[in-house]
Formats: sequence, C-alpha cells, structure tokens
Amino acid sequence: MSPVTFRSVRDLPPMSRSTDTMLWNRTGSWRFLRPRYQDKVAPCAEGCPAAEDIARIQILLGQGDFEAAWLRIREENPLPGVCGRVCYHPCETACNRGEYDDPVTVNSLERFLADHAWKLGLSPPPPEPAAGGGRVAVVGAGPAGLTAAYFLLRLGHEVDLFDAREEPGGLLRYGIPEYRLPLDALAWEVGLILNEGVRFHGNRRLGSDLTWDELSGYDAVFLAVGTWKPAPLGAEGEEHAQDGLTLLEAIRQGETPEVSGKVAVIGGGNTAMDVARSLLRLGAEPAVYYRRRLQDMPALPEEIQEAREEGIPFQTLLAPKRIEPLPQGGFRLVLTTMEILDEDEGGRPRAVPSGHPDVEVEVDAVVTAIGAGPSQGAPAEVTGEGLVAEGLHLKRIAPEGEWAARPPVLVGGDLVNDRKAVVTAIASGKEAALVIDTRLRGRDATSIWPSIRVGRKGGVSMNRYLSGDRAAQQDHVVRYDELNTIYFRFQERRERPRITLEERRTGFDEVKMRISASLALKESERCFHCGQCDQCDNCYLFCPDVSVLRDLRAGTREINYDYCKGCGVCVVECPRNAMILEEEPR
Amino acid sequence: MPIELPVHERMYSGHLACPGCGAAIAMRFLLKGLGEKAVLSIPACCWSIIGGPFPYTALQVPVLHTAFETGGAVASGIRAALDARGDTETQVVTWAGDGGTFDIGLQSLSGAAERNENILYVCYDNEAYMNTGVQSSGATPTGAWTTTTPTGSPKPTRKKDIMQIMAAHRIPYAATASIAYPEDMVRKVQKAVSLKGTKFLHVYAPCPTGWKVPSEISVKLARLAVQTRIFPLYEVEEGVRYTINLEPVGYLVDEYYRTQGRFKHLTREDLDRIQAQVDESWDRLKALARIG
Amino acid sequence: MRRVLEGSHAVSHAVELARVKVISAYPITPQTHIVERLAELVADGVLDARFIRVESEHSAMAAVIGAASAGARSFTASSSHGLALMHEMLHWAAGARLPVVMAEVNRAMGPGWNIWADQTDSLSQRDTGWIQLYCEDVQEVLDTILIAYKLAERVSLPAMVVLDAFFLSHTYEPVEVPEQDEVDAFLPAWEPTEILDPADPHAFNQLASPEYYMEFRYKIQQAMEDALRAHDEIDAEFGRRFGRSYGAVHRIPCREGERAPLALVTTGSVTGTARVAQAALRQKGIGVDVVKLKLFRPFPHEEIRRVLGPYDRVIVLDRNISFGSGGIFASEIRAALALRGEQPAVYPFVAGLGGRDITPQTIESVVARALGDEPPSDILWEGLKL
Repeated sequence: MSPVTFRSVRDLPPMSRSTDTMLWNRTGSWRFLRPRYQDKVAPCAEGCPAAEDIARIQILLGQGDFEAAWLRIREENPLPGVCGRVCYHPCETACNRGEYDDPVTVNSLERFLADHAWKLGLSPPPPEPAAGGGRVAVVGAGPAGLTAAYFLLRLGHEVDLFDAREEPGGLLRYGIPEYRLPLDALAWEVGLILNEGVRFHGNRRLGSDLTWDELSGYDAVFLAVGTWKPAPLGAEGEEHAQDGLTLLEAIRQGETPEVSGKVAVIGGGNTAMDVARSLLRLGAEPAVYYRRRLQDMPALPEEIQEAREEGIPFQTLLAPKRIEPLPQGGFRLVLTTMEILDEDEGGRPRAVPSGHPDVEVEVDAVVTAIGAGPSQGAPAEVTGEGLVAEGLHLKRIAPEGEWAARPPVLVGGDLVNDRKAVVTAIASGKEAALVIDTRLRGRDATSIWPSIRVGRKGGVSMNRYLSGDRAAQQDHVVRYDELNTIYFRFQERRERPRITLEERRTGFDEVKMRISASLALKESERCFHCGQCDQCDNCYLFCPDVSVLRDLRAGTREINYDYCKGCGVCVVECPRNAMILEEEPR
Repeated sequence: MPIELPVHERMYSGHLACPGCGAAIAMRFLLKGLGEKAVLSIPACCWSIIGGPFPYTALQVPVLHTAFETGGAVASGIRAALDARGDTETQVVTWAGDGGTFDIGLQSLSGAAERNENILYVCYDNEAYMNTGVQSSGATPTGAWTTTTPTGSPKPTRKKDIMQIMAAHRIPYAATASIAYPEDMVRKVQKAVSLKGTKFLHVYAPCPTGWKVPSEISVKLARLAVQTRIFPLYEVEEGVRYTINLEPVGYLVDEYYRTQGRFKHLTREDLDRIQAQVDESWDRLKALARIG
Repeated sequence: MRRVLEGSHAVSHAVELARVKVISAYPITPQTHIVERLAELVADGVLDARFIRVESEHSAMAAVIGAASAGARSFTASSSHGLALMHEMLHWAAGARLPVVMAEVNRAMGPGWNIWADQTDSLSQRDTGWIQLYCEDVQEVLDTILIAYKLAERVSLPAMVVLDAFFLSHTYEPVEVPEQDEVDAFLPAWEPTEILDPADPHAFNQLASPEYYMEFRYKIQQAMEDALRAHDEIDAEFGRRFGRSYGAVHRIPCREGERAPLALVTTGSVTGTARVAQAALRQKGIGVDVVKLKLFRPFPHEEIRRVLGPYDRVIVLDRNISFGSGGIFASEIRAALALRGEQPAVYPFVAGLGGRDITPQTIESVVARALGDEPPSDILWEGLKL
C-alpha cells in the first residue's frame, strides 16, 4: 500500500475529500517498545509436583472442551481421577486467587474432568511408536510405578511392571479407603495405563518372587515399592497394638477386621484419619490420639474436618507411653501429656513431655498410624547413604559394590519423598521415566533438567521434555501483584457436595460427590489463568491502533507490527500477565 | 471470558493518533456500537488530525469535518437532509472533543439539544485543548497543569459539569462512558442509537501526551477515574432519571492524581480539597440517583 | 401568475418554487419576513422541507452546510451582523463546494445600531468564495433566487442573492410568479455526486497540507471563472423560458443606439432610482448611460472593460465603504479597467450609507459633480450633512 499521487489538478476531487485509506501509513515505525504474547507459569503449575498445566487446563475446561482438558492433564499425570480425589492439592495452596478471595477448587475440577472421561468411556489416543527404546523394569505398581510405566511406554520403551500384590495400584488399591477412592474409579484409570501395553506382573515380591538377577536383565530399573513396614511406636507394650495400614489393606480386601468397641488410633496423618474413619464405618468407636496439636497434624485439613464432622473425637498433646492388657480384655493406654516447646530443624513444632500427670484410657484396641518404613524386600541401600540424588522426587542407588554391575536403579515414591503423597509419587515416576529415557537415548539429563522444570521449585514437565507448547513458556511464575485483578469479580468458591453424615457414618460410599458440568464451568470461571492467554480479548479490544488481529476460528491473537505503535496498553490491560513489553530490537 | 461486542471494525490502522491515545480507543468503541449506517461530523479536535490528511481516511464511515463550534448545528443539518431524502435509518453522530463541546461548541450543542434534534453527540473528553498543545479548557480539572495554566498557577476552578448542563435540556438520554469499560460504552451507544431525539455521551478518553503519563496506562487511568469516583459511569434519562451503572471501589483520588505529570505539583492539601470535591459530587450524584 | 409581493416574500416563494429541502435561519431585521414566511410554508405543508430554527447565524450556516453535504438543496437568509457571524462558515461552505443559496438583505453594520440599507455587510464577505448577485427590484429578487440555485449547483459554489434592506425587503411590487412546472423544467432536482453516503464513505473537508491546499484554492477560482460563463448561459436560458433576463452587467443607455459621454454604475435598488434620474437628466439635455452591475462575484472583468472602456467618464455609486480605501465597487471597477492603457476617468462616490436616501436628486448631484470641474479622486462623498 503506497500513498496516492495525483497527475493533474483535474484528478483532484473538488474539495479536500478522501480517496483512500490510511493503511499506507505503517505506524509500526513509531515503535520503540514491542508488546508480545508470552505465556508464563501459573503458581498452581509450579505448586503441583506433577507440574500439571493447570491454568491451561482451566481454560480448556472453561471452553467446554472437557476431553482436551483431561488429555492436557494426562500429558503430565496419568492419574487425574486419583489425584482429583486424594491429592493434597498444593496447587490450591499456591493459587493466586487465594489472595483475592479463595483458591480455585482445582482438585474437584480435576476429578470432574477424569470422571467425565470415565463416564463417557473416553480413551486417550494411543502412544506413537518411538524407535530406539530399551527394556525397563518398574518394581512397585503404586502411583509412582504406574506413572513411570505410563511415561516410559509413551517414550518408546518396553515396560514390565511388577508388584508384590495381586493387583496393581499399591497404596491406592490396598491402603486408601473406598469412601475416598472407589475401586472402580481406580481400576478404570489403571486400566488405561495398562491397556497401552504395559506388562503387569502381580504377586512378584522383590527379594522373594523377583530377584535382582532377573532385574539385571533390564536396561534400567525403577524401584517404588513404598513404605508398608510399620514404624515402631516406641511405647511399652506396643506389640499389643495393631498396624493401621495392615488394617486398611484388610478392609480393602473385603475382610471385616475384628476390631470393635473403643479403639485408640495413634497418629495425625492421613493414615490415622483413614483408619479412624474406616473403623467408624465398621461400627467401632475410634478416637484419635496425637502428640502435637490439631493444627500440627500432617493429615489434610479436609480429612481432619470430615473425621470430626463424623463425630470422631481428637485428643491432642498426648503421646503413647504404655499399652497394658486388661484382665477383662481390652487395654489400658497410658499417654504422656505433651507441650509444644518450639520448632525443630525442619520447622515442625517440637513436642516434649509437659510434666503434667499421665492420662489413662481403657480401650478395646489400639491401632497405630504413625508412618512406616520401606516395604519388605526393598534393598537396605534405600534407607541410608546408598542413594544419590537424581531429581526433586527421585534418587538412584549409588553404583557401588554389587550395584556397579547392575543396570541403573532409580528409586522414587514414598521410599524417597519427604512429603509422602500420591502426587509426589507421580512426580517420582515421571522423573524416573525422564531420567531413564535420557540415559537410554544418550541425552544429557543435567542440561535438560533446568529447561523442563516448571518455575524455580516446581516439578518437571513431560510436555516441555517432548518440546510441546509449554517449552515456549517463559519460566516466570506469575505473582498476584502482577495480575490486573480489576477484571475479576469476587465469586464464592464452590466446594463439591458431599453425601449425608448418616450415609458417611454407616457405609463406604464415596464421601465427595461428583460435581455437575455447570458447577465445574462456573468454578473454572474463577481461575485467573495466570500467565496464560485465554483469549479474553482485552489486547484486541483496547488496541488504539487496531493492531491486534484475531483468528476467531483458530482462537489465536497476533500483533500486527506493521501498525502497532508500541503504546503498551494491551500489556497493562492483560488481566493475567500473558504479555510483555520489551525494547524494540534495532 | 471473551467480551461479547460486535466484531466489526470500522477504523483502519495507520491513523495519526499518539501511542496509547484514548480518543482512538473511544472511536473504536463508538464504531462498534453504531450500526452499519452512520455519518460522523467532526468539529475541530484531535480527530481532525488523527483521521488522516487529504486524500486519506482512517474511518470506514462517512465523515464531515467541520469548524470548531458547529458540532450541534452541522449534525442537525445532516439529519434534516437525510430525513428529507427519506433516510431515517442512518445515524448522525457528532464526534467532538471537550473544547468543542464544553466551550466553543456549547452554544450549538445547546441549540441542537433544545430542538431535540435526532442526533447522537459524543464528546470524547481528554480534559484540555490537546490538538493545539495542551491548553486549558472548560473540561480541565482542578489543579491541572496545562500550557495556559502553568504549574505556578494551575487551573483554579472546577471542571464544568457538562452532564448537568445536558440533563437540564431534558434530552432523552445523556450518559457518561469510559474507554476502560467497553461493554458499558458500546451498550450506551447502542441504547442511544435506539432512541429518538438528542442523545449525549460524555466519554472519558485519557491523553498520555497531554497528561504526561506513559502511554501504556491510558486505559488504566480511565479505569481509575471511574473507580475513584472522579468520573462515575451513569445515565440520565429525560434529564431526570439518574442511574449509576457501576458502583466504584472508591479509591482515594491520590491513586489517580499521583500517577500523572500534570498533577505532580499538587500538595497534600490540594489533594484533600480535590477529594472533598469528588466526595461532594459523588454524594450529589447518589442523591439524584435515589430520586430518579 | 402576477401577484403583488413583498420583496422578502418573493424570496420565500422562490425558495418554495426551487423545492428547497432544508432551511435553517436565525432572525435578524430586516431578514425576518423571509424566514417567517418560509416557516409558515413548511408548517402548512406547502413546502416539503425541514426548517431548522437554530440558535445563531453561525449555526444556520453550519446547518445548511451539513444539509448540503448530505445532498439536500438548502437555503438560509441573513443580514448584517448575522452575516458577519457566519463569516467563518461562509468560507467553509465555499471550500466544501456546497451550492447553498442565501438571501442576504443588505443592512448596515454597527455600531451604532442601524438596520437600514448598506452594502458593506455583503461586500465584507467578498473573499469567502461565494457568488454574489445584487438585485434591483422584487421581480429580480424572485428570479435571481432561481438563477442562483442553478448557477451554484452547476459550478458547486454557494451563492448569495443580495437585496437592499427595506427598499426591497419590505417593499411590495407586482411580480410575475412562474408556474411550478416551468420552474421544475428550469431547475430540476439537485443530484450531487459528492455527498455523505454510508455506502461509499469518504472524509470531507479534511486536513489539506501545503502539498494540496493551493490546488484546491485554484479549483475554486476556476469554478468562479466557470461561473461567469455559466451565469450568462443560465440567465439567457431564464430569459428564453420566462421572458426576463438580467445580464451580469447591464447597460441602460440614455438613448437607444447611442453612447452617452458619462456612465453611471449602480448596484441594487439604486438602479431603479438611477433610471428615474436618467430620464430627468435627459430632459435637461444631460446624457447619462446607467450601467447596472448585478454579478459581483465572480467579478465580470472583461464585461466591465467592454462596457465601460469606451466612456470618457464613469461614476460609480457605492452604498458601502472599505475604510481607508473607499467605495468597494469603484475600486474593483477601476482595477478591472486598469488592465487597458487608456481608461475612463472614474468618479467613486460614496452615498446613502446606513439607509440614507439616494434620491434622483442625489444622482443628479453626482452627475453634475462628475461633469463639472471636480477632478477624479480616490473617494468622493455625496450627501454628507455636516
């Protein structure tokens, strides 16, 4: 487009009247600052150990594309149905919306997406075959092992998945109670993984039914057998106590344990809650005893709250000292009264005896749920100095001694994670798959690692590893004060509905109900989509120079640098910091 | 969530507005609100330049550039001619700056309003004579620097209340609008278009150049003007029925004043005085809305 | 049809006959009768037009500019201070090439307030780009409105039909009012090509940089030059259709077929008085040819030279003054004559300002002075009392 020229006065219109448009005038030449679209990292994504691209997932959900949103989760996490039920959702803790009103209920939305796929019987597209893979053994079919197997297969490796128990799932299958994680939901999701070609071998306990000689035939081994071994209570007469995890496993197996009457449940973690609430459902009268305060409990706040709603009493600042069998049956539990002194090195409040008199209670049973040690069959190296760090949620047995001759053995899940949780186990599994893939393909993991870590302290992204769209993200975690919150409205957080208290006290039906699509859409609207363009069109709308071009069909925005004057209005008006203004390159 | 606004674009890139120009943004919203058939009359103002020199135009609607003080009258003439030709559909719109509305064009605007001419008069207000180099107008706010109200003697008096003036004509519709609230503005344009008689829109359109602010905060300032209650969004129907369209957060005026070079000489006492003025105007507006 | 009409109403009826679509005006004495009658005609539905009763003359001109820009045949009327207030927009109308027609009732400018006949108001608008046509009597006023529309629309320039305050505006004379169909045949509907049209959007009257401004001015001048020829053609056509034509410059000889030694140049209603004086002087044996100047803009330089060049002496009677120079018609006529080497002696009389009567005696007096020993001068005053 070039300026108009007139050959003669006769050609001129009679008066000063336009004959053409201003489009010849490329005002882009005025520009000294250049706006650009730039996806950044939302704090939820950094907060998620599985590095789920939560903001993008919410955008897809909000657009009603539930399948795409579900598949987007599965790029980073093969177990959204599980996580959507039992995750401790650090994403919500990190959510910028928490500073505005309340965090988005990311967790229940994750479950919504998985359940939607389940209900419709969706299955993900099969993995594309990749040449040059190896053979990998995954030992332990809990969340870490399942995740590792899932990603390894997708990365082109052959995977044998071993587990000591008959069925896959590990703690998900044999630990977490039905009312939190129904078996059919688990089975569906595990089935999706196995159906892709993972070979599962049940009843193969490491050390007895599975030997290191056999494992040495693989190119790499991922070890994630969990921590099923009960930890010692450190109280006199502790042999009279039952192990909580064993009890939960029995219940999961369909047995009805012989525990009735008043039961003291010792501990403050999720297992303690699971045990107490399961016992309640079986007709017992559980009470929780914990050595610190309520607010110090490692269990999820919502688990504690639900347990208390169900009427389970909590006794705090009491540490078991002695368990005495009573002649008439039952036990006397003697507890030391504690007080909180200060914080230990890890920042946990330190509890010490208060000097006040002990407390005694008479109970029919004592069940411990105070944490556990490496499962039977795990090599001794996993507990001590024999490990070297490989990732945030991954270690490796140092290739020394007999290990020098064996294929690399990576260790993950509860065996190594400080925070023992499903999602950290999933993170371990993904990291293991990445490390194994880099090793088997001769890639340098140390140089790749920084580019695939989401944020400074987040998990690693498989999407980025595979050079997906997240690779283009600026690895800057969007802070609350970097948002233009005027574009958001206060909206109440929509908690998922739960079944009635009566139903909860008497049966193992899932407590948290499925949410409706309309509720999910409403809740998803609350997401700020920090650092991610959701096509809100502020950039387009406020551009004084009509220089933001939209492709409505493709759902894309583009800046027309022929005319953009670089005023920067679009960048300031972007509610979610998905744009930047940078110096114009000269 | 995408904003549901008409997708049509009747302004071309390549126009001559300064970067971040509020008047350019306002024009886009006006054109989005107008139907396909519209005629603009533009008395002398920044848009006399922005739209482009002969032989070019940045607009896809017919424009009649006219003398400074003729906004109301020229539009009346166009309307009469269209009506005479049997074209009652085409909207006649005057697009004038604050100088052309509050000051030199007030008489002709008043005449048109008194006759209740079937026109839409839009004043885009950047609070001074910007095209001529930032001289004070009747729309310049208290305390502002302009080249004719230098910092040694900033504007001592208040901004003219053009909305009250227009309401006093008992025209069917008068409303304020802001470039920071596109849906509100487009809705008001559409509402105005749907009504017969004289419609008046007072549109807040910051001028980064004249206000001595970075171009990128143009829209943000417009929003702050609303949220500080300095420029509330409201409508007046038939001159008496007041409706406040948006309840402002009610930030202190400091939030707005402190970001602008044209106010940097103001003291704490000045700002307190301005805050009192804003509060008083807001209370009056609330009272009017209650009556309405 | 022959009717007795007041000069103002002759204007109104011409506007009606011209099928004007938009009228906008603001009242000022002595223009009011024109617009009052028009308001009635519109209100009664006789004239299918919009009447915009604006709040000032400035707005009146702005409104008709808007109307004409949107393609409507438009009309306004004003006088004196009203015209002066329009000044800016007179330029705008011409620059925008809009064929607006205005009836301008010549009235003196204040202060002191004076509502009576004086041409300084219209002549002050000489350089605005308007065609100016001065009328002698009520019939000519009516006819000239029709001629003005045809001329203005032919060359795309605005036209001002000028009539003296009271002497014409408030004087009743028998007038031949043409039939509507005859007028329609002479003056069909205006079909402009340069109009505001949403289907073909352009920006009008936009910024014109030094690269183009001068060419636009050149085009206005060209249009004015075209208007000279066009006026003669249209005037002749009017004559063929209605039996009346006026000419841009019209010589009224003292004796048919002869040339008197003295020419008396007049404009407006004074021409009528001059006709009477001419007869009286003839009886006294003094031969004076009256030369009536109707078209002032564009100025008929060639015609003036052709008509006035052969005379020994030329009197120009100006009911106007350009302070510091003199009578405005005189100065233009002298400038036109100056192109030739030999030129008549010009006697530039200023008379009748602010409605002071110019009687046959006044004319006899200036003729006597011009034929006497008084040398030509840059300005000669006639009728000063004190």
